[in-house]
Amino acid sequence: MVCYSNKTLTVPANFCLPNGLWKQEPVKMGLLSDPSISTHNKLVDSLAKHMRKLCYVFYTAGVVWFMCLALPEFNHGTYLSENALSPGLVYPEIRIDSNRLALQLLEELQRERKEHQSTTPHAWILGKFNEFGLETYIHNYTLRYPFGGGKEFHGKNIYGILRAPRIGSTEGIVFSAPYRPPSSVHDDISASVPVLLTFAEFARRKNYWAKDLVFLVTEQEQLGMQAWLEAYHDGDKKYDTSSSYLVPGNLPARAGALQAAVNIEVEDLEIDYVDVKIEGLNGKLPNLDMFNLVQRIMAREGVTSGYKQAPRKKRRTNYSTYEQNLRQMLAMLSAQTSGVPSGNHGLFHRYRIDALTISAAKRVTNSNVKSNPSSAAVPFLKAIEGISRSLNNLLERFHQSFFFYLIVHNDRYVSIGDYMPALVALIACGFVKAYLIWSTLDAPEHTSQQDADTNPPAVYLKLTLPYGSVLIYLTVSVVIGYMGNVLPLQKYLISLPIGAGPLTVAMLMAINLAGFALPFFLVLPFGGLELLHISLLLIYSCALIVIGLLNFALGFFVAVLSMPMIVALDPNTTNVTLRGLARLWTLLLNPVVVIYAVVLVLTFYQFPELAFQQLLLRAATAAMDAVTFALIDSVIYGNWLYFVACTVFFPLWIACWTLALGRRGDNTISKTKLKTN
Amino acid sequence: MLFKALLLVLAIIQISAEEYDTAILPEAYIDAAERSTHTNNWAVLVDASRFWFNYRHVANVLSIYRSVKRLGIPDSQIILMIADDMACNARNPRPGQVYNNANQHINVYGDDVEVDYRGYEVTVENFVRLLTGRTQNGTARSKKLLSDAGSNVLIYLTGHGGDGFLKFQDSEEITSQELADGIQQMWEKKRYNELFFMVDTCQAASLYEKFISPNVLAVASSLVGEDSLSHHVDPSIGVYMIDRYTYYALEFLEKVQPFSKRTIGEFLQVCPKRVCISTVGVRKDLYRRDPMKVPIIDFFGAIRPTRVSTGRINVTLANEEDFTDVAHIQPKKQFKIVVQPQFIAKINK
Repeated sequence: MVCYSNKTLTVPANFCLPNGLWKQEPVKMGLLSDPSISTHNKLVDSLAKHMRKLCYVFYTAGVVWFMCLALPEFNHGTYLSENALSPGLVYPEIRIDSNRLALQLLEELQRERKEHQSTTPHAWILGKFNEFGLETYIHNYTLRYPFGGGKEFHGKNIYGILRAPRIGSTEGIVFSAPYRPPSSVHDDISASVPVLLTFAEFARRKNYWAKDLVFLVTEQEQLGMQAWLEAYHDGDKKYDTSSSYLVPGNLPARAGALQAAVNIEVEDLEIDYVDVKIEGLNGKLPNLDMFNLVQRIMAREGVTSGYKQAPRKKRRTNYSTYEQNLRQMLAMLSAQTSGVPSGNHGLFHRYRIDALTISAAKRVTNSNVKSNPSSAAVPFLKAIEGISRSLNNLLERFHQSFFFYLIVHNDRYVSIGDYMPALVALIACGFVKAYLIWSTLDAPEHTSQQDADTNPPAVYLKLTLPYGSVLIYLTVSVVIGYMGNVLPLQKYLISLPIGAGPLTVAMLMAINLAGFALPFFLVLPFGGLELLHISLLLIYSCALIVIGLLNFALGFFVAVLSMPMIVALDPNTTNVTLRGLARLWTLLLNPVVVIYAVVLVLTFYQFPELAFQQLLLRAATAAMDAVTFALIDSVIYGNWLYFVACTVFFPLWIACWTLALGRRGDNTISKTKLKTN
Repeated sequence: MLFKALLLVLAIIQISAEEYDTAILPEAYIDAAERSTHTNNWAVLVDASRFWFNYRHVANVLSIYRSVKRLGIPDSQIILMIADDMACNARNPRPGQVYNNANQHINVYGDDVEVDYRGYEVTVENFVRLLTGRTQNGTARSKKLLSDAGSNVLIYLTGHGGDGFLKFQDSEEITSQELADGIQQMWEKKRYNELFFMVDTCQAASLYEKFISPNVLAVASSLVGEDSLSHHVDPSIGVYMIDRYTYYALEFLEKVQPFSKRTIGEFLQVCPKRVCISTVGVRKDLYRRDPMKVPIIDFFGAIRPTRVSTGRINVTLANEEDFTDVAHIQPKKQFKIVVQPQFIAKINK
């Protein structure tokens, strides 16, 4: 409290002064701390009495608002804002001979795949690209896996550039297809490369391209794509790669600034429906115009398409429109929460390139729909042609429509302006509560006049709060949380002969223990808990607003889960059961517990046949993997979920836990402390 | 003056092709020649919008260009402003060609298009400078509107418009007031005899609302509050080809031959609401003559049919006063011009 004992402010240095001294005239101070501006008024007092009710009203309002968004009155029909796209104005020119080519390529590829069980048939793809007259290049990259004693993995992407015939190579569009070897655990999408090659062969014969077309075949799922993108954008920059995990190398040729990208995943040439995947890294989305464009053109070609499209059988449901809409919204939010892209397109968003994945599902053989295999893929190829021509028409990057939205139905959306109020209402509880606590700090607990006379005015109480101690406390919590980012990647720990999963989880557990024990070792002085409470509310609310702006899904779910606990927390409660409940609730909301719970629920849905104990065990290993993957995602792809969980959510949890414990310093000790402060 | 008189005698508008006996010219001929102050034709054709998806505006302006050129206005008297190059756009599957019809009957880009202002030269400033004759020093002759008091000027504008403005280049607009002021200046500077103002944009009628200058006939593709619509798409190029009003205007003009008896009044009835969807707006109150009696080639052509007359004919030339309402013209205020020396030489001495 040294700063308050200067000339502008003379506060009694000793609290034990005779009572009479307190009645001296208030001293002039800075505007913000001017005691003559009292936060005390009747409204605040009456609100403070109903603080908890008020907060729950805000909370309910937020949740109800969100539920309302599924009602048709609260969402809007999609439309195309970008004039330049002019979708569907061209007649597709792809004919049945392209389908024949695709069939032939698929057959050839199947033969190649028999010889390449776990590798990519690079030579075949390269040969085809060359045959179709594209500028063909190979991109090599290396992954230095951070765990398991520094293993190195090598990968190869193949890409071909079709230069725009009558314009400089200043802009490009990417058409990519991931290649999965037969040994891959993921769905077989071997038809993607033939479809890509067929389209490349068609595009080669056209003269109207105003942007370079890049045809890219990646391997090793998202790793190949990430490496290619890094090499494309930063490959020519000289920087020290000795410490980076992914060494992308450089590209031999580029195609200007990439304007858009379409990732194609095709299970089979006989296509049942198309699922459009849009969720990108950290919950980013492509411009709504791009999604609408795909929808518009797919509809024109008569291909069933949609966001989270399901097979025909599953599509028949008894849900009402409202329920369907709500499910769709929640499905979208849960897909965005983890920040993991739902396809290779998601990595483009990092470079401000709008991209999505067109994932075509195989037609089930016993389907009653007859199709002719010699022309089955024609509508799909025509749709890709239509999309490419619209993208070719772009004059600048997508910018007209929304970047932040929720898809309610395939043709209905909710914009950021409509969904943010839900989050803001949820978070408003935090700010309101912080304000009310602050303004009632000086409200004497004894309301009678005599008591007020005998107690020091709270203006001085506010000044004498242990700001420094609370700041130190919060800093310590953040440092503990930050350790979660740093420790698992330390060289001496990585070199230990244990797997990545157990290592990370052990580190997290250690950090968790430290956080758990912190309130027992560091006890805040008198008034510290109240101050910590206010800081917690403010930091928590600000953090959630920021996270919610960047990734609405994460912010919203965390707010829905944790806000009731934050509101219920009261370090001064005397009710033992309430206090016990608050502690239990806080423990349940520990990030590690939450991760385990989420994985448990997911495991339960995925393997409903497992016994309870097996389920618990399986969920434990799955959670371990999830944590490790989150860490790897954060260091290789730049996914910030792990960072936020460690450095934002965990320190906040420590603060909550401290408040739930409610251990406060002794009054006498605190008084001496205050004096010396 | 004598030379002009001789020209006028020789250049007499032919109304009827049946009369081949030229020994004695009918009274009507002489009357028309005496009353006409029209000696030459100019055209200012402007496409104010750029970008590939506005292909139709370029097709619009090139359609009118094609018509006026076919009907006889030489390239030297056509000022063509085109804000974007569609023929050589990389997205054009038919390089070097611009069509106004999906059937590709007419390549309006043709073989000899002379674009006077192109690309980013198409600005409001350049357009107003062009109209008012205030071009900057060093402007090429082909970029100047060198019209005089005997010129019939055709102004055609197309692009994206709104209530009271026409957008130029996605970055600026010309307002209806600026247009009206520009035309008033043209009148005051005796830069036109009669002016036909034709505009094909959304809410086009708002552009001629502020006109006050005499001898202006204006037609617009849509009234205020209406959109002008495109006519059709060429699915092989993937853009809208032409706007409805210009499409039907061109259909009309294609049937007009240099010696046609079609009148401007007929032209004003082109594109009824049934096919145009928007309502074509016409402003005739500033125009002195009956449009139904004015041949369309007074504005769209420049061919003066000549017939050699061996007889002697007396022609009294028309004066400006014959055609303007003298009663309403206010006498110019007398003022004295005092020239102040810029540098005072005495100080130096």
